[in-house]
Amino acid sequence: MLLSIAATDRTPEISLTHEPAKLSIKGESYPEDVSAFYGQVIQAVNHLVESPQGDLEVEVQLIYINSSSIKALFRIFEGLEDYRKKDKAVHIHWLADEDDDIMQELGEDFVDRFPNLKITTQST
Amino acid sequence: MDLNQAIGLRNQLRNNKVIMAYNGAISDDLMLTLADLLKSRMLAQDDPKRSKTIFSVFMEGVQNLIWHGGNDSDTSGMILITQSEGQVTIMCGNRIAQKDTLELRERLSRIENADKETIRQLYREGMSSSNEHEGPGAGLGLLEIARRSSQPISYAFVDVDADTVDFILAATI
Repeated sequence: MLLSIAATDRTPEISLTHEPAKLSIKGESYPEDVSAFYGQVIQAVNHLVESPQGDLEVEVQLIYINSSSIKALFRIFEGLEDYRKKDKAVHIHWLADEDDDIMQELGEDFVDRFPNLKITTQST
Repeated sequence: MDLNQAIGLRNQLRNNKVIMAYNGAISDDLMLTLADLLKSRMLAQDDPKRSKTIFSVFMEGVQNLIWHGGNDSDTSGMILITQSEGQVTIMCGNRIAQKDTLELRERLSRIENADKETIRQLYREGMSSSNEHEGPGAGLGLLEIARRSSQPISYAFVDVDADTVDFILAATI
């Protein structure tokens, strides 16, 4: 286990494992200190990129995310893009509540920004 | 302020359908408390979808005040929320330095008359930009507010003196 963070009222549950390579981000995201909270995650993802194992499965399921967390998530996706460049398959599942237009649209925005990543958006 | 003035102020708040008014220093804790209050109020009378949009605009507006606000009652933030005929308007104000308004004015003028598609494109470009000067959200918050508003955002700059300006931004959902 490279990373295991429990959810709080304002921060998501995050887990990152090496074998199998899997990243999961679930919950609310409006931390008081965004760089402190996501810094460790970005670092852990970059660490995984340094020693890629197999194909990487990613699951993102957010409720509310503020704009500064979105920028941090963007940097995580840049790490995922680097992982893909190491000739590994990366599959991202972007899950959003079927009534949640905001999170569905944000999923489309990430698809637009990362055309080379395989991102599946799905309503739950 | 005497009692008559207080009654006058209360009548103004009533007549303008003000559901929340705050002026003073804004901390992260206060933001969460007010957000909870707003959320429960909206959920009680509204659909969850709209309530989430209102929550999102509130959070982005108030986070801006925290990053760019001062600490005394003149320079710190103002939050004003009105609700009338099914529309909620969130207004956030703070006092900023004249020299910091140039970039803000430019960004606002780009956003104010832009259609939803243009705002979305600016938003997508903003996701990757990094400008520490603009706070942790680096301008993305403003685009988030514009994107979630059902009407174009409005704003005003009111000169205080040669060095400072009162800035106010309004978004209607």
